[in-house]
Amino acid sequence: MASTSILDKLKRNQIIDLLDKGQRFDGRPFDEHRPITIETNVIPHANGSARVRLGDTEVVTGVKIQPDRPFPDMGDKGIFICTAEILPLAHPTAEPGPPQEGVIELARVVDRGIRESGMVDVSQLVLEKDKSVVGIFADNSVTDHDGNLFDACSYASTAAILTCKVPKWEMKDEKPTLVEGELSDPPITTIPVSVTMARIGEHLLVDPNSDEWACMDARITITTNSDGNICALQKGGNNGFTTEQIIKCSQTAISVGAKIRQKLEQARQGN
Amino acid sequence: MGDNKRRYVIPGEVITTGPYRPDQNVILEDKKIIATKVGISEIYDDSVKVIPLAGKYVPKSQDLVIGKIVSHSSLSWEADINSCYVGMLPASDVFGRNFQPDSDELTSKLGKGDLIAARIVNFDRSRDPLITIADRELGKIDSGELVRISPSKVPRLIGKQGTMIQAIEGATNATITIGQNGLVVVGCDNPDGLLKAKKAIRMVDEYAHMTNLTDKIKQMLESKSE
Amino acid sequence: MGGRDSKLVLLDENGIRCDGRKVDETRKVTIKAGVLKNANGSAYIEFGDNKILAGVFGPRDVHPKHMSDTDTGIIRCRYHMSPFSVTERKNPAPSRREIEIGKVIKEALRPAVILEKFPRTAVDVYLEILQADGGTRCAALSAASVALADAGIPMRDLVAGCAAGKVEDTIILDVGNEEDQAGQADMPIGYMPNLGQVTLLQLDGVLSPDEFKKCVDTGIDGCKQVYEIQKQALKDKFFGNGAA
Repeated sequence: MASTSILDKLKRNQIIDLLDKGQRFDGRPFDEHRPITIETNVIPHANGSARVRLGDTEVVTGVKIQPDRPFPDMGDKGIFICTAEILPLAHPTAEPGPPQEGVIELARVVDRGIRESGMVDVSQLVLEKDKSVVGIFADNSVTDHDGNLFDACSYASTAAILTCKVPKWEMKDEKPTLVEGELSDPPITTIPVSVTMARIGEHLLVDPNSDEWACMDARITITTNSDGNICALQKGGNNGFTTEQIIKCSQTAISVGAKIRQKLEQARQGN
Repeated sequence: MGDNKRRYVIPGEVITTGPYRPDQNVILEDKKIIATKVGISEIYDDSVKVIPLAGKYVPKSQDLVIGKIVSHSSLSWEADINSCYVGMLPASDVFGRNFQPDSDELTSKLGKGDLIAARIVNFDRSRDPLITIADRELGKIDSGELVRISPSKVPRLIGKQGTMIQAIEGATNATITIGQNGLVVVGCDNPDGLLKAKKAIRMVDEYAHMTNLTDKIKQMLESKSE
Repeated sequence: MGGRDSKLVLLDENGIRCDGRKVDETRKVTIKAGVLKNANGSAYIEFGDNKILAGVFGPRDVHPKHMSDTDTGIIRCRYHMSPFSVTERKNPAPSRREIEIGKVIKEALRPAVILEKFPRTAVDVYLEILQADGGTRCAALSAASVALADAGIPMRDLVAGCAAGKVEDTIILDVGNEEDQAGQADMPIGYMPNLGQVTLLQLDGVLSPDEFKKCVDTGIDGCKQVYEIQKQALKDKFFGNGAA
């Protein structure tokens, strides 16, 4: 039963009253995200990993890199795949079992945000054209859910990929063989950052927490790259946005994205 | 802790042996009284119990609780009361004995997300606990903010003969309704008073086991707000 | 799994194991209670290089309803390995091995929890293996017990887990990953220390009757050591600086 995810009416009214007065319930400015902490290399046996806390939302992401067969018609490109799962321990309403549409959307949006930015140069991940390539898998596990999993998973995936180490394989007898002790940095071209905004009435809020998520009319997740260009976008929720609101959101995504990109750069240097 | 009649215990620890009656949160196994929850054990003349520091609210008849309506059928509402079971509020409790399921619409009185101050009528584990709001100080809560604390901290929040709660209300001008189930509603016209009252309640939840809690709270209440 | 050093020495002439441990030494174990905001109870354990998160919800309503019991609460347990937890990336879908381990852990915990007072409810235990390095089920069981106590579920005792095994004809305590793969026997054990009951027991490998007894005794010793760490984790969280 989704009882714990029902926001009590008093709080809903308080949130909306405060917004009309220009305030958020937790005191944040409308264009500010919650405190972010990024730790990398938290799963040392994986090729890369990160744990991100966005307020009370927490995600652990692991990157595994291993040889694979290329996709048909893409024999000159390596493989990059991003997945996401909300672990049942993350929230009372998260159930084990085949993923439902919300989780599938989460995984696909996070994957697209990173893929469309071209962050990982997959042309550098070929061992033998049409036969053997390197596959990079970033798997996000949400361990605590307090809203805005889109951004938390995006930051965790990006941090894990930025700090991963790629092993070296050589083709021997038609098979990729690991060359021990040779690790290199991943082929990174840009740092994608997603920023999710909720619309509650006329107000646009960056990084909604779960209470704001429960009140929102619609949401939009916009991913930008290091050049300040927009590379992926997803609108969600049961209502709409005006064109002006969408433009405003795109501008916010660029400016807020730039700040978060700095944090991701720091996490990368820290390694 | 000094006093050997009170001790911190974890589940499985033997509190004592001897001819004691096992009371709350202990079991008798092989003449040994064993704690079943993390908490503070207390040995009385003829019985032993543990005051738990964790766990959901266990409904008790006549307890005042704060509930949140989560669903309804044509005959009753269901309320989240921070327990293993939902509280059942029959429609007749609100509409009276002449309640007509066909014409009387439940949502006209209470809907999903409404908070209520209710009393547990009875609870026998074979069915969900029955609650009532048919009393002067009970009913739908129209204003205030909800703060959740551990149910085991409620006695500390009330204090000996109500001293703690009165001190907080007095210093902040807030009206505080405490549910035995750990849900507390705080109302205050003054935003500063509201913040202080909420902070005081959270301090009780976090530091209840410390001996100087009353002083700490007094200090906080008397300090100038930022 | 290929390319392992065939010269791996599991036990040298000084009685030192491949990772530097003595035969009766466990790997380093740390446990933290109450690490998640949403779960009713939680714990995080590092057992050697194993990293495992445990979350508990309940007692709560059971869905689907036909799974509930009118006489008593039930306990459910899910053991799941993250795709990045093992050397070769694992498909996120639950495998038969994970489902069996979930059942075995559930049955190890069932005697410890007192659910008769909560008919028609369920206690859900979720175990996520973030990094695996041999002995995950014992470590997960140990974390699960702490998470249950953290949630305030009534329990007769905690359950502590530790494995014993055999390498080079010698009984060893706490089988590591390489020892599990190249050794002669692996026996995971779950034990309730105050009640003296073994609630999880499995065996992979061949043991003589004497070796069997020694293995069980060694494993139980290991469980008792893990129990001290479980106790401390709960004390650290609940009793702060004033632990009795």
